[in-house]
Amino acid sequence: MLADKMFRTLLSREVLRFARVWTQTIIPPLLTSLLYVVVFGVALGSRIREIEGVPYLQFILPGIALMSLITGAYMNTSTSVFDAKRERYIDDVLISPMSNIQIALAYTLGGTLRGLIVGTGVFLVGMPFAGVTVDRPILLLLIGVTVSFTFSAIGTVVGVVSSRIDHVTFMTNVVIQPLAFLGGVFYSVDMLPAGLRTATLFNPIFHTVDAARFATLSVSDLNPYPALAVVALLAVLSFCGAWWSIARGPNLRH
Amino acid sequence: MSSRDGRAPALRIEDLRKTYRDGFVALDGVSLEIASGSFFGLLGPNGAGKTTLINSIVSLARPDSGTVQVFGHDAYEEFREARRMIGVSPQEINLDKFLTVQETLTFHAGYYGVGKKKARERAEELLERFELTEKRKARTSTLSGGMKRRVMFARSLMHDPDMLFLDEPTAGVDVELRYKLWDYLRELNRGGMTMLLTTHYLEEAEELCDEVALISNGRIAARDTSAGLKETFHARSIEEVYMKVMGHAG
Repeated sequence: MLADKMFRTLLSREVLRFARVWTQTIIPPLLTSLLYVVVFGVALGSRIREIEGVPYLQFILPGIALMSLITGAYMNTSTSVFDAKRERYIDDVLISPMSNIQIALAYTLGGTLRGLIVGTGVFLVGMPFAGVTVDRPILLLLIGVTVSFTFSAIGTVVGVVSSRIDHVTFMTNVVIQPLAFLGGVFYSVDMLPAGLRTATLFNPIFHTVDAARFATLSVSDLNPYPALAVVALLAVLSFCGAWWSIARGPNLRH
Repeated sequence: MSSRDGRAPALRIEDLRKTYRDGFVALDGVSLEIASGSFFGLLGPNGAGKTTLINSIVSLARPDSGTVQVFGHDAYEEFREARRMIGVSPQEINLDKFLTVQETLTFHAGYYGVGKKKARERAEELLERFELTEKRKARTSTLSGGMKRRVMFARSLMHDPDMLFLDEPTAGVDVELRYKLWDYLRELNRGGMTMLLTTHYLEEAEELCDEVALISNGRIAARDTSAGLKETFHARSIEEVYMKVMGHAG
């Protein structure tokens, strides 16, 4: 299926789309993340110094990179699918001989790639400031791919089911960004009161940030491997959602 | 039904029904057979079910019941084979705004599994045919309405379909382009391509089609050659037939 010419064409269209508008899709998240590094890491970091025995800037870098990766992956598919649906050029794809699973996978992998490019870029830009090295690079890559795939698939679902563009941005502003900020990017959950700590455990982004921090620095609030299993399960479930939305989603096939 | 080249009928539809969520009955048991190689016209007022019928064949609409076969292939069970044989030029402009004219054509070919080299050659041929060569590098969003319509025609032909669905193809098109398109459609049809045309322009249907069906309230109300319909309905023109049939059907 992945070698299929039809599938590869749609995937390359998705890559072309975000590459063609790289000043909107790649550069702004890199700059924003760099600002986080400067403001939270360099300025505030001089006061906080260390968390769990790790310099503050090193502590927050994996989370900031993951936050950018999540937003990039989600925004790519949600806006691409929404635009294609609103202007009906998605019909050209839907009436082709491609299967629904191929279409869902091509859109999702396009977003996954953008998420990985942005996330990796943020990490690489932040590395010289933080002076960080990655303890488990393969594990970190695996986490990055899985998380990017998950949020890209969620973006596909949202792109299909949204009837207005503000539905797409609502998810970013009201769900994803708050979950990311409350997902332990800038602090350890041990610093929270008991109630908030328990609530954080239900935040899936917390588990991904914690696992990424473990892969980078070998420090984590929880055992990262059960969290990874949860993230993998989320990836499978969200892709099933993307597949369903292409096959049966509202306003796509009437 | 006999076909010009002895193939299975280009299209065989049996008892197709579709009711939208708001209760609107778009297709109310449509049965239709179109011979391979024919030029078939589907006429009817807005909301009669023409576009829903086309969308049901290409899976953009999900019919409630009924069967559709494209050159003998079940449109849903054997969707890959069926869809490869169909080209669609839709009623509404639906061009990918991120792509150039040339990319629109080559990406479409890729969606149908056509190799890069063949797609480039075919794109060259169609760009020239539709006088779009100079605009090949232009983004589709920058084109005029007539040019967008030409790009959509070219796109629908990129994968060499056996049957072409033309949903109101000349709506909003100037007279010169309309005549050029007619000539090209006749040429394609003479080459063996089956045509299914929906149009509001009755003279267009009379000019181009071997056979015409009138659809009203989701049902096929009449079907014959233009001459046959005129004779049956004691009418002097296809317009008169249309008014009589729609009057009765409505």
